[in-house]
Amino acid sequence: MLSEIFIIAVRGIAIGSIFALIAMSFNVTFGATRILNFAQGNLLIMGGFFAFFLANGVGLGWWLLMLLAAGSLIALFSAFQGWITLIPLRSSVEQDSWIISTVAVSVILGALMLITQGPFAYSVQSVVPPFRILGVRTPGAYALAIGAMVFWFIALRLFMTRTFVGLAISALSQDFDAARAAGLPVRRLQLVSFAISGLIVGTAGFLVAPVIAISPDAALRYVLNGFVAVVVGGLGSNLGTLIGGPLVGVVMMLTAYQIGGAYQDMASLLILVTILMVRPQGLFGRTSARQV
Amino acid sequence: MNVSNTMHARTGVAAGEHSAKPRFSSDLPQLWIGIALIAVTGLAPSLIGNSYWVHTFHLVNIYIAAAVFQNFLFVDAGQKSFGQGVILGIGAYVTAIAFGLHGLPFAVASLLGLGAAVLGGLLFALPALRVQYFHLGFVTLSAAIVFPQLLMSLDRWTNGINGISVQLPWAHFEQFLGFSTLTLLVTLWPMAALAIHYLLRRSRLGRQMRVAAASPEAARTLGIKPGLMRFTAFIIAAIGTGICGILYLPATGYVSPQGFNVELSFVFFFAVVVGGRGQMLGPIIGIWIVFILPNIALAQFVEYRLLMYGVLTLAAIMLFPDGIVGSIERWRVKRGVAGRGEQAFRVDSFLEGLEGAQERKPSDEVVVEVKGGTKRFGAVVAVDNVDLKIRKGEIHGLIGANGSGKTSLLNILSGLSRLNEGSFMINGRNCTRMPADRIASMLGRTFQTPRIFPQFSLWENLKLGLDARTVQPTPEILRLASALESEFDNDSAELLSHGQRRLVEVMRALLKEATVVLFDEPAAGLSSSERENFAKLIRFLSRRMHKTVILVEHDLDLVWGIADRITVMEQGRVVASGDPANMATDPAVQHMFIGGRHA
Repeated sequence: MLSEIFIIAVRGIAIGSIFALIAMSFNVTFGATRILNFAQGNLLIMGGFFAFFLANGVGLGWWLLMLLAAGSLIALFSAFQGWITLIPLRSSVEQDSWIISTVAVSVILGALMLITQGPFAYSVQSVVPPFRILGVRTPGAYALAIGAMVFWFIALRLFMTRTFVGLAISALSQDFDAARAAGLPVRRLQLVSFAISGLIVGTAGFLVAPVIAISPDAALRYVLNGFVAVVVGGLGSNLGTLIGGPLVGVVMMLTAYQIGGAYQDMASLLILVTILMVRPQGLFGRTSARQV
Repeated sequence: MNVSNTMHARTGVAAGEHSAKPRFSSDLPQLWIGIALIAVTGLAPSLIGNSYWVHTFHLVNIYIAAAVFQNFLFVDAGQKSFGQGVILGIGAYVTAIAFGLHGLPFAVASLLGLGAAVLGGLLFALPALRVQYFHLGFVTLSAAIVFPQLLMSLDRWTNGINGISVQLPWAHFEQFLGFSTLTLLVTLWPMAALAIHYLLRRSRLGRQMRVAAASPEAARTLGIKPGLMRFTAFIIAAIGTGICGILYLPATGYVSPQGFNVELSFVFFFAVVVGGRGQMLGPIIGIWIVFILPNIALAQFVEYRLLMYGVLTLAAIMLFPDGIVGSIERWRVKRGVAGRGEQAFRVDSFLEGLEGAQERKPSDEVVVEVKGGTKRFGAVVAVDNVDLKIRKGEIHGLIGANGSGKTSLLNILSGLSRLNEGSFMINGRNCTRMPADRIASMLGRTFQTPRIFPQFSLWENLKLGLDARTVQPTPEILRLASALESEFDNDSAELLSHGQRRLVEVMRALLKEATVVLFDEPAAGLSSSERENFAKLIRFLSRRMHKTVILVEHDLDLVWGIADRITVMEQGRVVASGDPANMATDPAVQHMFIGGRHA
């Protein structure tokens, strides 16, 4: 019994780390652009495909090189997508066309993966060998997932507080008009934020490829769970994602164990609705002054 | 289509006459064209006797009806739902379970299906009470993912992957001219859906929904509860889409989980975008393109269907964001509407009818009273222990530098934000904890940027004031309203100048029953002649209509010219208060005049 609880906790936290990573990538673009990219799940799966095609069963050196390549290419794609998404926002009073365009891109990416790779789930060999904690055999990629979450949390924090670009992006998230008036290159910073969010999910997808189902279907489920994680933690709070992601992961594992794997997404939908009803600003969300 | 109609009407009458104004809204002609299109596509296949097309258009017309409700939800209520396929699926499935598996009469099964669809709608509607915007996009998309999973795993009730087949011979029984009962039903329902959408738009509820979608805080000051509007919209859409679900059953004779995956919800959503958001004809053209084109042109390449949906939608949002019908409509409006310049909106003549009332001086009765009001935003104290008394019928100037707390105070008085400490009363009632939509019956306000809604005609923009009333208007107000209606019913509000927009807001507040009117920097951006007119209008409000006016303004000349009393704020505190003559010599005010008479 105890070991079952332990397995659920480890698996839940590891899977939850992936949600937390998606949640952090949401926070980066949301701060700079007020946009949440619905295609973020597809970018994660894209990272998984990179691992499958270019780094399946290879040595550590090559694997690291491919990690960087996957991260940068997906970052580049994400910046391009950001550019596309931001075009209609420039001229229009209507500021929510991004919901439509990012969903459309997500559908296109999913369809392209389906056409080229078929509906199957691919699996990838792990570069990190499985290990035992408290006698329980644990896939190495679980450690990578949790490690990536901690790494990106710290990296983002340092980037946002110590670098000029990071500070400028933080300024955007606090007061858009003031940042523009201060002469910050708003559009370029927004594209940088898209690139960073692509880098986060791209590398995450590559790292966790051995423990996720690399299939076009999975993309929407990951992006939704990432959103639940960000809502639980509070939109805009990276600290919140560290709680929100693992929490959602553990609840999903518990559901799978107690009721059945088919009800996992239902459980996360219920978490989402409950949080929105009870505490819409999330656990760590800030209440902000209303603008009239 | 409708373009040529109106063009004809325009050339028929000499330009410049009032009667020659093109229609502001093309909803009604679009409604009739839409009904005609549905009638043709719904009935023609049966007349020709082509059973393939009969079957195809059964489904197409059901989807059109669902897309009509998506359109309503999307544009009129501002809610982006990716889960309308779920609602349709619940309606179809519950009907199928009750009828096909448990043998209940079809009518009873349908009612159960409809009830279940509404319950499903509640899942979307309840969060809508609290949150808005993209959150609901994720909730609905999540539901669209979960629904087919549940259908599979609850196989004890749903038959799982095998689905449920039903036999409904009566539906295919021929009534006349080769039309089956089903053909008639699925032709009539999308027509009815269009008509319902049209009538909702013409109604007070529909107008208030659109205001709540465009500007929630302006909506609240007009007595509207935005959360309730979103809730209602989701429920209306659930009823309409649930009926589509019931019709789906006889049309296909079969339900299975694969029929209700996320793709179906995307079809409805994308159809509205491609066809033209908010246009009556949008869902029809949209479903034709998004659904018929890939399913017939690419029938052999099923996997390319999703790609087509995505590419069409992305292309639409990048190249013609108004959609196909919307782009045509925009072109029509551009050709037809010329700016009327200064004449576009003048109010002087309308006020004459109200001038019968005699001029009255402000009384000593206190109508607004703030006691020890404090408002903090984090560490910032925006309003600091403020005491303020405003007397009935007076024009009360509220001045102070930027950031001195004037707008924060207005927001508190109108209920948009709440005091941390202290209290305030309006007309003797304690309003400290009262929500904005209830305060709205006592108090009207304008915003720094005028809240004008381009989707409404100029008259409808004004009518929002009447809509906000909780008591019947007086005969004078009714006379004023009908004069405004006949003048501005077909005018667009989009081309009005800033000063005119301001006037529209004032007139809107005037049509409300509110006895207190707040103006937030009304003179900013007004020309000098507009300022003069505006000053006259404010005096008229106070002296003739006996309304109490609170005026936040930086133009000190204007304030000293018309105010009965003036209050000066600095860093959230009231530093001086009194009549204009005494205030001009007050040391707290003097420094504001240094370097010109603008604070």
